[in-house]
Amino acid sequence: MKAIKQLIQQDGAIQDRSIYWDEDVYQKEMEHIFARCWLFLTHDSVIPETGDYQVTTMGEDNVIVARQKDGGLKAFLNSCTHRGNYVCFSEGGHARSFVCPYHGWAFGIDGELDDVPLEEQAYFNDIDKKALGLRQARVESYKGFIFATFDEKAPSLTDYLGGMAWYMDSFMDVPGGMELIGPPMKSILNCNWKNPSENFVGDGYHVGWAHASALQIAGGALEKMKGLNDYDPASGLQVTVPEGHGFGVIWDAAAALHPGPPGVVYQKWLDQRSPAVREIVGETREKFYNGHWDATIFPNCSFLYGTNTFKVWQPRGPREIEVFTWTLVEKEMPEELKQMIHADNMLTFGTAGILESDDGENFENCTNSNRGYSTRQGSLYLGMAKGRERTDPEMPGLVSDGWVNETSTRGMYRRWAELMQGTPWDALSKTAKTDSQA
Amino acid sequence: MSAENNQHVAGKAVNHIIHFEVAQFLTREARALDEERYHEWLDQMITKDISYQLPTEEVRYRRDKKVIGTAQTTYLYNDSYEVLCMRVARFDTGLLWAEDPPIRIRRYITNVDAEWADAPDEVEVWSNFIVYRSRGQRDDSTMYGRRKDRLRKVDGEWRLAARVITLDQRVILDKNVHCFF
Repeated sequence: MKAIKQLIQQDGAIQDRSIYWDEDVYQKEMEHIFARCWLFLTHDSVIPETGDYQVTTMGEDNVIVARQKDGGLKAFLNSCTHRGNYVCFSEGGHARSFVCPYHGWAFGIDGELDDVPLEEQAYFNDIDKKALGLRQARVESYKGFIFATFDEKAPSLTDYLGGMAWYMDSFMDVPGGMELIGPPMKSILNCNWKNPSENFVGDGYHVGWAHASALQIAGGALEKMKGLNDYDPASGLQVTVPEGHGFGVIWDAAAALHPGPPGVVYQKWLDQRSPAVREIVGETREKFYNGHWDATIFPNCSFLYGTNTFKVWQPRGPREIEVFTWTLVEKEMPEELKQMIHADNMLTFGTAGILESDDGENFENCTNSNRGYSTRQGSLYLGMAKGRERTDPEMPGLVSDGWVNETSTRGMYRRWAELMQGTPWDALSKTAKTDSQA
Repeated sequence: MSAENNQHVAGKAVNHIIHFEVAQFLTREARALDEERYHEWLDQMITKDISYQLPTEEVRYRRDKKVIGTAQTTYLYNDSYEVLCMRVARFDTGLLWAEDPPIRIRRYITNVDAEWADAPDEVEVWSNFIVYRSRGQRDDSTMYGRRKDRLRKVDGEWRLAARVITLDQRVILDKNVHCFF
């Protein structure tokens, strides 16, 4: 593996192609990124009652996240401490315990080892059950969005989200908050996890070209982007925060990918909701509330606010991911509107979605071209609007005009490089300033 | 099988003549889709009130029936006739880069089992399928599943009025399922 400063150059604008292909880079990512960062697990609304749980992964580690008796949450490895088998084979549900099918060891919904068959006759009561609980992760949630990390030294989730939290409050702070509709759709893509993460964090550029067929039939506000003939840089902006998260926003376009009657109903909801949002988060963020976002919470949780698709790209080796897709809605929306948004999300960004399928092809091929040894010796270029980033007195991070931009993508790779160098949490950049600005 | 089996009794298996018609319809439909004759499918093979669904099912323990939180049936397809037309219109745009060069798709329809439905001119049909897709030089995938269809006789011809598709994979082992099943 090359030195990190060779893998990412020019403030994140140049990426060595090996980072999308090489096994040793991937294993370093598991160690320095996925075993350290806060990773999205699920949402409060999915597991509201004691004993409700979901099984998911953190990196490639299989974990169970369960609602506890006191209303709190615990997340722990789904791997028996006796011989390592999984203790849960359901992808979620409601449980009083998790019993390993190999020898019957029974763990509580808190991950503690409760019962061992033949404890008296075979172990002669000489077993320290307290020491044999399932390994716990740290769990914290932000406005109902549940994350976990295996790094004891990681900052709090709120600090980890940094300036991104301020922006996300634009919609997370609506009265009643947000919820996710599941169970998630799940599918495989044969691509590196960074391809979709970078796409959602800040690839507004591909929208008009890759999705031209869908924009043509869906019509609506984005149709004029078809074929990239027309675009106004004043129609949105991009943001990157030093924590590596980021997004692009298109003003007044939240409902743009809901053509027809659902779009009308959704727009009416937004208009009616806006004054309350302004009251809570102020005028600037009211504008964000009404915009359409493409966003990534570093490293692998992405969403489109407005279209309201919410995704996790679970790494499964350097060239494969498992995609989980939920629908994001406001809890206080009428049921009818929630169903419309859910149906539209399936139609656009579901596994049979008319936009999702364009992206899947591109992600896979962007990874797979690096199969070639000589191809892999080269690098890739994300230099759009470089040097035009600015700080803003009101908005955290770095801001750059235009949602067709690569500011937030460069920001993601800057953080990636810092973490891959093994930089301790307290030595990571606290400002969004790029190297050339510093 | 005697001619009396041709009488419409809801829930009873259809006779060999109706069975042949139904099986022939499914075979012809599969060939029309394999050959990308989507407009013929929309115009002549399905009804305007069609319901076309592909629900996903969670992998859960048999004993655990509790619906938790916001969980509901998530449909990969939950299409009306208008939405199916929209999907076909997308194929027609000439802007669908992923389908150019064309994808080769082959549908294998088996285990056809037909019963008379409640409505006098309708049958319920179960069938299993294999859908093989090949893209580019060597990218391919195979999907297995079952369909529960309702066919209706309209002007002497069978048409698809409802389809519920079950895919056996929980995690779809392909980048998309945007082909008709």
